[in-house]
Formats: sequence, structure tokens, C-alpha cells
Amino acid sequence: MTTRRGRRPLTAWAFLAPYGAAVALLIALPALLNVGYAFTDHTGLTRDPQFVGLANVDRLLSDSFFLDSLEASLFHVALAVPLRLLAAVGLGLLLAAPRPGGRWLRVAVYLPTVIPDVALAVLFLWVLNPLYGPLNQLLGLFGHSGFTWLADPTTARVAVVLMLVFPIGEGFIVVLAARRLLNGRLYEAAALEGCGPFGQLRQLTLPLLAPVLVLLAVRDTILTLQVNFVPAYVLTDGRPANATLYLPVYIFDQAFEFSGFAYGALITIVLMVVSIMIIAAQLFLVRRWRVLR
Amino acid sequence: MTERGVIRLERLAKSYGRVTALEGVDLAVRPGELLTLVGPSGSGKSTILRLIAGLEQPDGGRVLLDGDDVSRIPPHRRAVAMVFQDYALYPHLTVRDNLLFGLRVRRVRRPEAEQRARAAAERVRIVDLLDRYPDQMSGGQRQRVALARALVREPRVFLLDEPLASLDAPLRLATRTDLLSLHRQLRTTMIHVTHDQAEAMTLGDRVAVLAGGRVRQIGPPQQVYDQPADITVARFLGSPPMNLVAGGGVLGGTTGLTLGIRPEDLTLDDEGPLEATVEVVEALGSETLLRTRSGDGTRLMVRIGPRHEVHVGDRVRLRPDPERLHRFDTFTGRRR
Repeated sequence: MTTRRGRRPLTAWAFLAPYGAAVALLIALPALLNVGYAFTDHTGLTRDPQFVGLANVDRLLSDSFFLDSLEASLFHVALAVPLRLLAAVGLGLLLAAPRPGGRWLRVAVYLPTVIPDVALAVLFLWVLNPLYGPLNQLLGLFGHSGFTWLADPTTARVAVVLMLVFPIGEGFIVVLAARRLLNGRLYEAAALEGCGPFGQLRQLTLPLLAPVLVLLAVRDTILTLQVNFVPAYVLTDGRPANATLYLPVYIFDQAFEFSGFAYGALITIVLMVVSIMIIAAQLFLVRRWRVLR
Repeated sequence: MTERGVIRLERLAKSYGRVTALEGVDLAVRPGELLTLVGPSGSGKSTILRLIAGLEQPDGGRVLLDGDDVSRIPPHRRAVAMVFQDYALYPHLTVRDNLLFGLRVRRVRRPEAEQRARAAAERVRIVDLLDRYPDQMSGGQRQRVALARALVREPRVFLLDEPLASLDAPLRLATRTDLLSLHRQLRTTMIHVTHDQAEAMTLGDRVAVLAGGRVRQIGPPQQVYDQPADITVARFLGSPPMNLVAGGGVLGGTTGLTLGIRPEDLTLDDEGPLEATVEVVEALGSETLLRTRSGDGTRLMVRIGPRHEVHVGDRVRLRPDPERLHRFDTFTGRRR
């Protein structure tokens, strides 16, 4: 018995080792190096970066492009996270119950998630085309003259969010599975009390799914701050007027286009801090729910 | 005071797809009665509760509550409360909020709601648990919370769907007694569903035996036990079940009849008419069960007192109590 008890943790560590090594080598180490690089003049091209102290920070504080970028990212998160969650939760709850054809509807919701980002972005170039794109034609049906989507700062931002409202498959699946795990008897008990569909949604489904919803919100915040890179790159390349110069786009530009690797590293740290702050705010808001037991 | 809590089921029928759960159930439950619905799994007992509660719609027939047809009335307007087998407590709410849930939905004023919740909690002795969450309680405590949640509604009828099935044996016995005394205090109509024949015998003014989607027999437990209306009922009530011998065999019968005798109605008697060999001896402490085999291969279970010097392989003589011999038609299964 003693040998078995003594060996079990070792076995566990042995199984964890490949993953642990990969995390250390490919994530932790580069992240640490990144912090170091942020205080050098590294260009990404030369071999011997020199320590420059807070020079990059000084530059950041007076960089109007950086402020544009930060604003674009915050606007994006503020709009994309709620919309994506609403879509994933709404569709997940609607399609959780077995119904004729439900399987096909669920496939349809998941489908955009398996389309490569770039392909989806190219598709959206057509969808958003002001002359022959279906979105403006749809608006035309309601008597609206349509937008020049990617040419106007605000609509460009909205357009990127619109595109990212479609690949919500993972969140959708999680909500679907979580809803199916809820005990049907609870709903019958509530029905006996006279609790209607909306009451059941408000008093049973949402509180019971709260831990899952918070998890999805946190995950989507992290994700959304990063995945807008592809649509911005394909659709707008950060334009118009820096409206879609999201932090990942600006980081890429600085690090790999303008040979400002060290400056890019610093903005990466900012991106991480922004993520942490938003998540902390979310957890603070929901602290009274029993989600973090 | 008008009689409240009278339930009548008239030709109630329900199918799920191609599976028929109930085919024309007629049942009259008296006001204040504790009626036990018992039957093997799949006999339709839970379906009856769900139809009375309004959780499902009948395919045919009517549910009458105090004379009114409630078949098309939504569950919450039927004045029935249900206790589910798995209790169905809201896991995200404390016991107090579980009790208050329905009252809030009904917009009962806060002080009155609090007072009703407290009264219900006192009745089932869970006042000290009011601030706990369901996952912080034992099965027995949860069961009482479920009961209290039903009490809060002050319903005309309680529907209990296997309320004791998830409890372990000693707790089940204690809760059975609690349930009986609760019913005695409240005198509210209760319909209690179980597949446990011991519960059926002890809990309930009357017992209704269901099988194959029909009520086979209804009556006081002892009467149903003593005079089962058909072979299914005879087989279901009693443990070990009644010995049934098609054609009568060693019990002496005629073709077309199945004779039955309960294990306790067979006695060991050196002068007895039946000769048999003991195959199995089960000494249960308070009693001993013998499985015997007669010359023609008929197996009879015999229940005798404890501490008998009977061993496997012994040849014994049995005397059936002629008064307690049951005769059933082999083809229809009915009592003759």
C-alpha cells in the first residue's frame, strides 16, 4: 500500500510532464522574455538588444495611435462580448430541447465556427459590400439606404463585431450541454407553483447556469481581445482612422512591420493587464452569485 | 365544512408514442384519505400522479377535483402539491428560499409568506436548516424540505411520488412513521406512489394495485392481501410472494384453476397431507423461510417461526390452511 500511495503522485507528475514542459518552454518562458524585451531597444532583427529603462513606457504614454488602439479594443470588447454571449446563450437554450429538425439547426449554429477566420472574413467582405452586399440589400428592404460599412469608423467597428457574432460554436455547445444537465423535475416543480416560461428562465435557468455563464464571459473577454486580429487585418487593416487598430493589430504592426519588437512587447503587457482588469471587474460584479464555490 | 380533496379519475388514458401507460383508469379517492398506488415499475402509477398534477395531459378521460373537471386546467391552479422522488429542490436557493419560491411566484405578501414557510418548517422539524443549501444536507433532511415545500402551498391534495425510495432502510422506516403522523394531523388527501409492497401495506388507508395500466384492485391493505382479486395482485403483494400452482397440483385442484397459498399459511405438520424436500433454508432471525420441493417438482415457500431444526435435504410434511387457499382462473387470472 505504501509504495502505491507513494507512487501515485509521481505517476501523475509523469503524465503532466510533457504538457508542463510545453507550457514552460512555449508560454511561460516567452512571456517572461517578453517582459524583459519591453525594457530594451530590441528590433526583432538584431542580436544584442540594449536595456533602455522606461524609454518605451514614455513613448507609450505619448503615443496617440496607442490610445486609438486601446479605445478600439475596449469598444470591441464592450460590444462583442455581450452580443456573442447573448447569441450563444439564447441559441443554446432555444435549441437544447429535442425538437424536429433541431439537430440541423444546431449544426447550422456551429458551422461558422469551423470556417477558417480568413475565409469568414473574405466572405464578410462580400456581405458588407455597400453596392451589392446582402447586408445593405437587407436593410434596403426596410427602406434604409445602407451603410458604407468599412469606410466609416463606427460602422467598421460594428462590422467586425457582426462578423465575430457568428463563430460562437464553443460557447453554444457549453450552454447546450449545461442546460441539458439541469434536472427537468425542477421545471415541473416550478410549473406546479405557477412559474411560467419567463419566470423559469429568470429564476431557474439563468441562476443555475450562472457558473457556466461567468466562465463563458471570462473566456470570451480573453478571446475577443485577441481574435479581432484576423477580421481587422483582412477587412480593414486597422482603418479607417485607426477605428479598428485593435491592440493585437497594433502589436503586430509594431513588432513585425515597424521593427519595434520591444515596443510591441510592452503593448502586449498592456493587453494582458487590460484583460485581467476586465475579468476582475466581471468577477467583482457577480461576487454575490454562488459561482466561485 | 364542505369536503375538500375529493379526486375522481374517469376512464383516464395515456400513451407515450406506442407505449400505453394507462388504459382507462377509474379511481375515486375519498377526502382526507391516504391512498397508496402500488405496482411494478411501468404500471403507470407515476403517470397517474402526473396527470392529477397537470404535468401531463390525458389522451382520454377526465380528472375531477372536488367535482370540477380540471383536465384542461394548468398545474398551478389545481391546488395540488407534489413531492418528487429526487425531491427537486432548487439547488441555488437556501431551504428558506425553496419554501418561499412558490409563495413569491403567487405574490403572497412577505410577512404571511415568511410565517407560512416557518410553520411548514416547524411541522417537519427543519427550522435549524433554513439557511442551508440543498447540497449541504443529508437525504433525509432534503426529503423533509421537499415535504415542507409541499406543505407551504396548503394544497387540497398531496401527491407523493416514491418519497421514500431514495432513503436508506432505517431512515425509510422512520420517515414512513413521520409521514403517517403528518397525514393524521393534516387530514389532507394524499396519494402516495410506491413500488415497495411493504410501504403499500403500512402506509395508506387504502391501497390501489396497478398493473398494465389498469387498477387491478383497490381496498384496505389487509383485505387486498387476504383476498387478492387476481393473480397479478396476489403475486405483487407479500414477500416472499404467494405460492401459485397452475392446475392445483399438490394443493389438489382442477384444470383451469390456479391455486395459491401464502408462505405463512403452510405449516410444518408430521400429519400434513403434502410431502416435500427442503431445498433452501433462510433463517432471517425473526422467522425462517423454507423453499421446498414436492415429488412432482412443485416448489412451495414456507414461512415458519425462528429457531427450527430444519436442514437442507430434510423431508418434511406440510399442511396448507384450507381457509387461506386462493383459487384463480388460470386463463383470466381472476379470483374464483
